[in-house]
Amino acid sequence: MKTKILPLFLIVFFISCAQQKENDVEIQPEERSYEFETVFAEVDIPWGLAWLPDGSMLVGDKSGEVTLVKEDTSTSITTGFDDLYVRGQGGLLDIQPHPDYANNGWIYFTYASSQGEGEGGNTKLVRTKLEGTNFTNTEELYKATPNTTAGVHFGSRIVFDKEGYVYFTIGDRGNNEENPQDITRDGGKTYRLHDDGRIPEDNPFVNEENAKKAIFTYGHRNQQGIDKHPETGEIWSHEHGPKGGDEINIHKKGANYGWPVITYGVNYSGTVITEETHKPGMEQPVYYWLPSIAPSGMTFVTGDKYPEWKGHLLVGALKFQYLELVKLDGEKVVGRQKIAVDIGRLRTVKMGPDDYIYMGVEGKGIVKIIPN
Amino acid sequence: MQTIQTAFVYIVIAIFFSCNSKEKNKESAKGEYSKIETIQQNPELEKSIHRGNSVYNDFCVQCHLPNGKGTEGIFPPLDGADWLVEKRTESIHAVKYGQKGEIVVNGVTYNNMMPPMGLTDREVADVMNYIMNSWSNTQDNMVTVDEVKAIKK
Repeated sequence: MKTKILPLFLIVFFISCAQQKENDVEIQPEERSYEFETVFAEVDIPWGLAWLPDGSMLVGDKSGEVTLVKEDTSTSITTGFDDLYVRGQGGLLDIQPHPDYANNGWIYFTYASSQGEGEGGNTKLVRTKLEGTNFTNTEELYKATPNTTAGVHFGSRIVFDKEGYVYFTIGDRGNNEENPQDITRDGGKTYRLHDDGRIPEDNPFVNEENAKKAIFTYGHRNQQGIDKHPETGEIWSHEHGPKGGDEINIHKKGANYGWPVITYGVNYSGTVITEETHKPGMEQPVYYWLPSIAPSGMTFVTGDKYPEWKGHLLVGALKFQYLELVKLDGEKVVGRQKIAVDIGRLRTVKMGPDDYIYMGVEGKGIVKIIPN
Repeated sequence: MQTIQTAFVYIVIAIFFSCNSKEKNKESAKGEYSKIETIQQNPELEKSIHRGNSVYNDFCVQCHLPNGKGTEGIFPPLDGADWLVEKRTESIHAVKYGQKGEIVVNGVTYNNMMPPMGLTDREVADVMNYIMNSWSNTQDNMVTVDEVKAIKK
């Protein structure tokens, strides 16, 4: 009789805890067919990483330092961002040159800013021009309110779409009760603007009273990875879940991604946020991670240096210290593979203009992946 | 009948154990101060620990976790950490200015970096008092704002 009870015991044991994902796409171990080369080490927390048309590389440290790296020389750039607010997850965040940088010279930044009323800070989008060793002509394009001293969820990433709109993300600032589901408040949103900061006339909430009219999508928690799909042109992002429930989403105009009404995660403490994972009018993610990997940085693999990875997604796993290759078939995740196991806390990942993959790793710097 | 009863007992045990970790987490999230008696004798420390609990949940919990155990080899533990006891000044320094480079905690080497959190001296003192009096940790010698202030970069 005992032989029948034991399997029953095991079955109940394995299904009675919610922090297990059924039928998940299993992650494959690393098959290392490449080497790593550190191309720039003089940075502690490389958050922003971008290239200018002449091949020089802009590296932003969360602390506020920006360095221009050209071949073997590196130059420190004075930002003039006097309102930079460095606290908790806040600081200097993303860097993105305008797609037509060669003609207009604009470089876009998001950073945590103490500007405006109230103690604390909130995320700000600016554009600026590089002249010599200074940023000049800095224009404020968006500043979220209110300032708070909360140390979490500033976002932020920037991307341009095919039409030249600029998208940027702001996390829920730790106030999930008020921010993500309320379109009259900042936080927990992806925003869309014209490149000069004007609100596009066809933004989804331009006719809603009191709405923040720059909002493109809402119901997010904290998006720290974004990229434009190389073929469809759609904007993909990922966001940190609480404990479990990190998500990959495709941005649809005006859509609600559900946080915190629906989620696959629970609080860090293990307490339940909501029992709901689905609701009409709220988007399901393309994929969710359970347990969390703490995703940071994201890029589609383009070019011909990595033929087997091309068209798939790379996502940094802060928590497990590797780079994850998320293999796609259209909008479906069909495979997962570890890359760069034990590389360290990976903050950002980008395709360089030379078609190599570059990773920004805390305490290590900018690391290039070179196929053998 | 006997068999059904036995099976039922097994199921109850299975459910209990498989979700037990979740329950434990819930407890520590409320602030499981270890030496209630000591703390109650010092209302200033009690208040500081209470404020420190909020700071911990905002700035520390993502890596060091609600149970203060961290992740071996990646994020050092705070619960039962020899570093906190033996290197008090270095601990305060790390919370105040961030921590970079190799450290050994409970015999395990860590070589990551913790960014500066931008906390005020008071927040540093509060979160130190919380950490030093949570889980299995106890520390009667309260960290004061002046002590934090005196620690230079």
